Amino acid sequence: MTDAEVLECLARGREGDEKAILELFHYMYPHVTKLVQANLPARESAEDLVQQVCIKVMSHLQQFSGKVPFLHWVSRIAVNTCLNQIRHEKRRPEVRLADLSEDEATVVEHLAVSPGELDASDRVASKELVDKLLGTLKPADRLLMRLMYLEGHHLDEIANLTGWNRSLIKVRAFRARAQLRRRYSLLMKESL
Amino acid sequence: MNPADDQLNRLFRSAAQGQPETVYTPPYGLETRVMAAWRTGQSSGTGFWDMTLLVRGLILASLIMALSFLPALTSITTSNSTNNPFAEYLQLTDSTIPPDDTP
Repeated sequence: MTDAEVLECLARGREGDEKAILELFHYMYPHVTKLVQANLPARESAEDLVQQVCIKVMSHLQQFSGKVPFLHWVSRIAVNTCLNQIRHEKRRPEVRLADLSEDEATVVEHLAVSPGELDASDRVASKELVDKLLGTLKPADRLLMRLMYLEGHHLDEIANLTGWNRSLIKVRAFRARAQLRRRYSLLMKESL
Repeated sequence: MNPADDQLNRLFRSAAQGQPETVYTPPYGLETRVMAAWRTGQSSGTGFWDMTLLVRGLILASLIMALSFLPALTSITTSNSTNNPFAEYLQLTDSTIPPDDTP
């Protein structure tokens, strides 16, 4: 759906066309689900949070001015909702080699031993390992690392999705990356 | 490049490929709830009773203030318009001249 189509849907929606609003909902739903699943707080169901975000978007649809693309506006609502939910989580567990599963420990070994890319069979374990490593970061840093390294978004895209300015993103990314490097180095030392 | 950085990059690349496929079908009932939220957003217009309690309170307070100032304002304007324009000036002059107490 293009921006023009979104605006048309919104205009139709303002005139009371429910079909147009449903179209908008189906357009934004995958985007919201993806963002929520990537930033899901512990002890929170993705479905509940997706619902919360969708309802928030729909009840504030009148406030959408059209100055930014619709999906960016939706993303900011989703990101803020997730971060607000995560904020109360104080516990950020340390990752030790003993806490890793056998497959995850194998991934660490593979990375240390061979300089090439990991095998396809290591993908699931590496995803779990990354999740554990990211779990040690602050919620906003975690989100940034996900957007940057797992979803491959550029600085401008992240700025649009989160509403943060470029310098804040750079500083945050630098610190988060340094923290990850430190945590990963500790794992490496333990595995040697 | 720092070996840890290189390994982290490879780990991230592998993890990015290991993202599970997600089925993007809204669960049963979500559509209805979302549409209800939209209808609520539509119906909440800018009527006085739709505003928050704080805004309503502020509007009422300013109205009461304006009403309470009204009598004072009207008395000032009426006294100014009815009296002689030189009255205040003469009054001021009188008060500055000391009363002559000498017999």
